[in-house]
Amino acid sequence: MATEAAPMDEKAKRMRDLLSSFYAPDPSISTSGSSISASFDNINSTSFDADQYMDLMIKKSNLEVLLQRHVQMAAEIKNLDTDLQMLVYENYNKFISATDTIKRMKSNIFGMEGNMDQLLQKIMSVQSRSDGVNTSLFEKREHIEKLHRTRNLLRKVQFIYDLPARLQKCIKSETYGDAVRFYIGAMPILKVYGDTSFQDCRRASEEAIEIIIKNLQTKLFSDSESIQARAEAAVLLKQLDVPVDSLKDKLLEKLEQSLDGLQIKPEEASLLAEQNDSSNDAESNEQHPAKIHEDAVRGFSEAMRAYREIFPDSEERLFKLARALTAMHFENMDLYIRKRVSAADFLRIFRIIWEDVVLMDEVLPEAELSDLSAEAAQVTVKKFVARTFSHLEQDISDTILKFDINQKEAVEEEVLKVVLEASKKAGLQGTTDIFQDFRQLLDENIGIFVKMKDLIIGWIQNGFQDFFRSLEAQFLVLSGKTSSSKEIEGGLVEGKSSDKIHAGLILVLAQLSVFVEQKVIPRVSEEIAASFSGGNSQAFENGPAFIPGELCRVFHAASEKLLQHYIDTRTQKISVLLRKRFKTPNWVKHKEPREVHMYVDMFLHELEEVGKEVKQVLPQGTFRKHKRTDSNGSNTTTSSRSNTLHNDKMTRSNSQRARSQLFETHLAKLFKQKVEIFTKVEFTQESVVTTTVKLCLKSLQEYVRLQTFNRSGFQQIQLDIQFLKAPLKETVEDEAAIDFLLDEVIVAASERCLDVIPLEPPILDKLIQAKLAKSKEHNNNNNTVSS
Amino acid sequence: MQGGSSGIGYGLKYQARCISDVKADKDHTSFLTGTLSLKEENEVHLLRLSSGGSELLCEGLFSHPNEIWDLASCPFDQRIFSTVFSTGDSFGAAVWQIPEPYGQSNSSTLECVASLDAHVGKINCVLWCPSGKSDKLISMDEQNLVLWSLDSSKKSAEVLSKESAGMRHSLSGGAWNPHDLNSVAATSESSIQFWDLRTMKKVNSIERAHVRNVDYNLKREHILVSADDESGIHIWDLRKAKVPVQELPGHTHWTWAVRCNPEYEELILSVGTDSAVNLWFASASSEKKTSESPVEASRLRVNPLLNSYTDYEDSVYGLAWSSREPWIFASLSYDGRVVIESVKPFLPRR
Repeated sequence: MATEAAPMDEKAKRMRDLLSSFYAPDPSISTSGSSISASFDNINSTSFDADQYMDLMIKKSNLEVLLQRHVQMAAEIKNLDTDLQMLVYENYNKFISATDTIKRMKSNIFGMEGNMDQLLQKIMSVQSRSDGVNTSLFEKREHIEKLHRTRNLLRKVQFIYDLPARLQKCIKSETYGDAVRFYIGAMPILKVYGDTSFQDCRRASEEAIEIIIKNLQTKLFSDSESIQARAEAAVLLKQLDVPVDSLKDKLLEKLEQSLDGLQIKPEEASLLAEQNDSSNDAESNEQHPAKIHEDAVRGFSEAMRAYREIFPDSEERLFKLARALTAMHFENMDLYIRKRVSAADFLRIFRIIWEDVVLMDEVLPEAELSDLSAEAAQVTVKKFVARTFSHLEQDISDTILKFDINQKEAVEEEVLKVVLEASKKAGLQGTTDIFQDFRQLLDENIGIFVKMKDLIIGWIQNGFQDFFRSLEAQFLVLSGKTSSSKEIEGGLVEGKSSDKIHAGLILVLAQLSVFVEQKVIPRVSEEIAASFSGGNSQAFENGPAFIPGELCRVFHAASEKLLQHYIDTRTQKISVLLRKRFKTPNWVKHKEPREVHMYVDMFLHELEEVGKEVKQVLPQGTFRKHKRTDSNGSNTTTSSRSNTLHNDKMTRSNSQRARSQLFETHLAKLFKQKVEIFTKVEFTQESVVTTTVKLCLKSLQEYVRLQTFNRSGFQQIQLDIQFLKAPLKETVEDEAAIDFLLDEVIVAASERCLDVIPLEPPILDKLIQAKLAKSKEHNNNNNTVSS
Repeated sequence: MQGGSSGIGYGLKYQARCISDVKADKDHTSFLTGTLSLKEENEVHLLRLSSGGSELLCEGLFSHPNEIWDLASCPFDQRIFSTVFSTGDSFGAAVWQIPEPYGQSNSSTLECVASLDAHVGKINCVLWCPSGKSDKLISMDEQNLVLWSLDSSKKSAEVLSKESAGMRHSLSGGAWNPHDLNSVAATSESSIQFWDLRTMKKVNSIERAHVRNVDYNLKREHILVSADDESGIHIWDLRKAKVPVQELPGHTHWTWAVRCNPEYEELILSVGTDSAVNLWFASASSEKKTSESPVEASRLRVNPLLNSYTDYEDSVYGLAWSSREPWIFASLSYDGRVVIESVKPFLPRR
């Protein structure tokens, strides 16, 4: 507005101001715009004082300006006058026209009331007339409505009367759906009036419905009908309030019964597997059991599919059925693999089961059959792996125990060797077979096996680990070393095997352990590395899988333990012999020696047996005369350097001949090199024999030390030992040690002798020769007898 | 397992088999040992460990009429001890008293308190009642078990009861149960027999052939340790004596004797004819491990052999823990060398 106001000419502006001041009751507002410069010289201001203005003018301006001002003022006044005149005129005009209008209005309103009255009258009459028409038509209308209702009723009655026929027609055309719809439509009426007016009708239609129900039921049960049709039938039956549940139960029961037929019975399983195989070979289309089974399962799953659609609410039961079947399958599988089963057979059965599961899973994906069966399959496969290993273990121990060894056979027919070879073979062959089997497992591409691959590898590795561990334990148990605890716990080991095992077998076991350590385990670890590696990453964080190093250590320890055990049992036997020898006679009252005592023969005989056994089983070692190293920690050297005290004593009492001799032996010992008695046993024939001899001689020495001898007793010992010298040296690796030990025995005897006078060498010689001759004769006799 | 020569040695003149801790000597760690010589004059040595523990001093040297096969110190009087001796063709057993003041004269004669002369056969050992107060004694020969009552002031011993074990069981030694003073374990050819002293009847036995030595664990009741010729050391729980609780491998040759430590229940010492003394740690927990499979147990078990002292020249027969300083033991090898060792480095941390 302000911008527009600017160009507005002075005149117009003032006009407006004036008008506004005229109309506006409050001058302050109207003049706010123009009276900014309100002062004395502003004519337009309300506070304009003409006299003052004049005085100011006169004072300020000269004449000319005053004149000019006058002229100007006069013109303005004139202008104002005309403006006012114009204003008045215009306003007057308007007033006149207004008065005219009012005058006209006044004349127009006059006479309107009469028209209004007329209108009211007319409307009143219209209303009364319409009322009249209404009342006159009312009756007719009611009548019409009544008629209409009656007609509907009649139509319904008609429908009900027609119902039986209609139903019949439907039955004929098999449109059971319509029939049921009709019947249900008629139901309310039939229910109310069925006993009175429509009795016949009702009976007829019920009969018809009966037929329909029957038809529907047969339809439902008939397998030839399409599932859709059967489902519809079921729905219709349900609509007809027929107890469908009992039907369902009946059907499902039938299904359940059919489960039995679907079982793979353990006894049939092998048949299944075999025949499957043969028919595959022949490529014939015969109905072999596997095929039959497959068809049966297919039928079963089809039926399930059908029932599922027919009875949507029966899902749970079907799930249960399917699960039961799966579980049953795996249970049977479990029974089946309790017997010895090859991997191929196992897989074949497994495949069949898996196919069944897949079939059922297609029908009932919600039953989570695959999960269930995956779990069961895991368990089964794991069991299978474990069983395979236990079979192998059984095999090996059977091989070992198969040979009924008695003393003679062992020595004469090299049975030990046979056993060793057989069990070696069993071990190697067994592991090879196992690998083959497991490779089959891994190669299997059934879905579940692919998923389980890692797990299987883990199981196999673990299985091997456990297998070797338990094999080691088994060895120890077989050897009779750790039988005691086990016997108490489970009575697993029969008394026979643990009680009295042939000593030779212990040796075989020892050697077998070496074989396992050196051959079997490396091979197994190679195989595992080659085809069963990996897979243990997720499944076996906690339990380590196959650790060949540890197993090697275990078997190494076992082999040493067993070898030691062998030596122990052997020396024990000899020890008993020696004990008897030394406990029985009264050595203080011994008679003069006349011949070499026969315990020496028995001793040598035992050693000979050891030698024979060892020869069969152990390898020959590189021959070494002396062994001064290799002593294991807890063993020690036994040399006797007599201490000074001893020497003092000896020198002091040097009177007797025997004393001096004793002293000499002591002195000799002093200068002899320390001879190791208890060296580490090695897996060689010589080492074992030597160790046995050493231990026995040490025992001999100890027994001697416990006795007191008279002269003859001492001489007897001297004679026996002298006789032993030659044959022992023949059999033994470490001559020095044997010499030393034999000397020790004599020293011990002399120390424990009341009256040491050794036999003269000629007499010794004579007695020994006599003994040799006698034993030769004996041998000859034996030979002649045997030949 | 080095055969370190940390031990303190002492040489006897002759060969010897037995050494005994002088339990009644509360002020010193002392041992009694006797020689075994058929022809020479035998001696009994009273040895005392110097206060610094660095020297083994001969505190007394007494002559003994015959060679000594067994020696046991009286648990309540340090001057009294018993011996089993042999004259060559016969055996005898006697209780001796060391003359007072001992240690002054070099070779004073022993006073014979009592002669246990109720035996005819080979006497094996004399056992003192372990209670430490009772004056009861048991002497054992191959067939008989004799219970004596000793009156040291009157210098007499009286047979309280005597029982024959029968000809077939030749007894070889035994141990008196420190937890039940009425029970004595005796080793025989085929078993360990347990005798009730009240009735003098055999009440129980563990079938085990050729047990050479047994010892009761002083700290743990029902625990007995046995040593065999061939199969090492077995630890038995007498409540279920069918199967040993634990087996220790023993020695390369015979294990001659075993002794449980009087203070540290897990420590067991054994000596053997392979000229070694082995210190074993038989953990108490192994008792509960029996239910596990043998494989598992053997895997878990650490080597029970703590140390093997091998610095001996001949078979070791004598062994005794010191009851005063239970980390010290004395061993005696056949050549007459006494070695005192300390097992302090192997003591279980408590």
